[in-house]
Amino acid sequence: MRPIFRCFVMFLRQISKDGMLYASLAAPLLAGFAFRFGIPAAEAALCGYFGKAAILSEYYLLFDLFLAVMTPYIVCFVSSLVMLTEYDENMTSYMAVTPVGKRGYIVSRLVFPAVISIFASVIIMIIFSLTVWSAPILLITCALSSLLSIAVSLLLVSFSHNRVEGMALGKLTGIILMGLPVPFFLFSGVQYLFSILPSFWIAKLSVEDNYLYAIPALLTSFLWMWVLYGRFVKKLS
Amino acid sequence: MIRVNNLCFSYTKKPFIENTNFEVESGEIFGFLGPSGAGKSTLQKILTGLITSYRGSVIVNGEEVRRHDNGFYENIGVDFEFPSLYEKLTARENLKFFASLYNKHRDIDKLLLSVGLINDADKKVSDFSKGMKSRLNFIKALLHDPQILFLDEPTSGLDPSSSRVMKDIILDEKTKGKTIILTTHNMYDATELCDRVAFIVDGKIRALDTPRSLIMGRGASKIAYTYLDNGREVRTEIPLCKTSEDETLSRLLRENRLLSIHSGEPTLNDIFVELTGRQLQ
Repeated sequence: MRPIFRCFVMFLRQISKDGMLYASLAAPLLAGFAFRFGIPAAEAALCGYFGKAAILSEYYLLFDLFLAVMTPYIVCFVSSLVMLTEYDENMTSYMAVTPVGKRGYIVSRLVFPAVISIFASVIIMIIFSLTVWSAPILLITCALSSLLSIAVSLLLVSFSHNRVEGMALGKLTGIILMGLPVPFFLFSGVQYLFSILPSFWIAKLSVEDNYLYAIPALLTSFLWMWVLYGRFVKKLS
Repeated sequence: MIRVNNLCFSYTKKPFIENTNFEVESGEIFGFLGPSGAGKSTLQKILTGLITSYRGSVIVNGEEVRRHDNGFYENIGVDFEFPSLYEKLTARENLKFFASLYNKHRDIDKLLLSVGLINDADKKVSDFSKGMKSRLNFIKALLHDPQILFLDEPTSGLDPSSSRVMKDIILDEKTKGKTIILTTHNMYDATELCDRVAFIVDGKIRALDTPRSLIMGRGASKIAYTYLDNGREVRTEIPLCKTSEDETLSRLLRENRLLSIHSGEPTLNDIFVELTGRQLQ
């Protein structure tokens, strides 16, 4: 494990030397502020203007879900950019022929940050969430969000060859988050068209408060990760 | 040290590396020689465990490569053709980081000194020239004092003096008993450094022997001499082994009438072209 930890320390060092990446990590905090204080203010203004009792408040859980996913998503996005810079510097292949290894490299660049992001996400949710969450559901949602973010990162690093391509593809990976609003707007069987997206099951879990939805969320996340890890390893060779 | 049996691999459905067999003994410098795209780097990737989806058997340091653990790399040093260095860090910081990944490592300053980079040790790698990066990349492979070294075009893009320094270090590593796999399309490097070379074209080994045997086996050394005959310059070429039988040469030598005399032997490149119909460089 020692080489992997050293590799992780180098990852942190790289972020500290890159102003843009460093600033990106503040995004979940800023979003938390905006969601916590901006959305209720907008709700009050909209309700007052249209003379309704509730407009946005029905979707507060959806805003919370986006906030829960945002921390691991941003952390893993930053990891992807570091990995793409390293790919540019031929470092990815080199790490694979050191005691760090291919898997160790992925662990240091995606798994460690994702685990840290679970705790960061829980803290941000405790401070800024708009709805009341039970502790187990919150923890499971944040953990599943971090798995989803690893899949997003693998998608980025497997299909991009440099940072610029990564930034462009980063916008497209938002599609994977499309599953979050589905249970809020589609109530018939049509919603299951999105069942390949882990984000759909994460949303179902939170909306229906049913722990069983963690199983398809886990399975779909691992499926995405397995396919994309294979693609990443192929890219290395 | 390295044993390859019936190795097959392809990036596509079309066969590429097929039924390749060879062995490399401990303390040997073994060269893969071939034009770009011949499969040299692919073979190196297989031997270093970067590609594990091969068929057949590849044993390196007693371990089947596709089943290696990460401890496998404690005894393997790799110098890729293109430098793999953290550009924002200094040379010393880079080496310190990579050294920290291994159980043991050599003295960093001594290594920097050996390739003439000690005065640039605290300079950022992004400020280095291509040659400086190549030298730093090279010593990075030696950091943990590995038993097997995989060097991919180690002298590519270097000035003659830096190239000489690198070649001396490679020969020095050999005297320490290290096994070295050299991938190159530079026939001069291969002839000078390698104990044995394998000619690779289109993923296949077309010949494998010592550079000397390959050269001597295909074409004997020759002597070419010129002299004046009725005011006209004549050039004659004879095999070195027939020197004593050549009456004209004996007579010209006795009469001191030779204008020029040269001995020559085919280069690895000539042999390569003859065997494969392809140019190395």
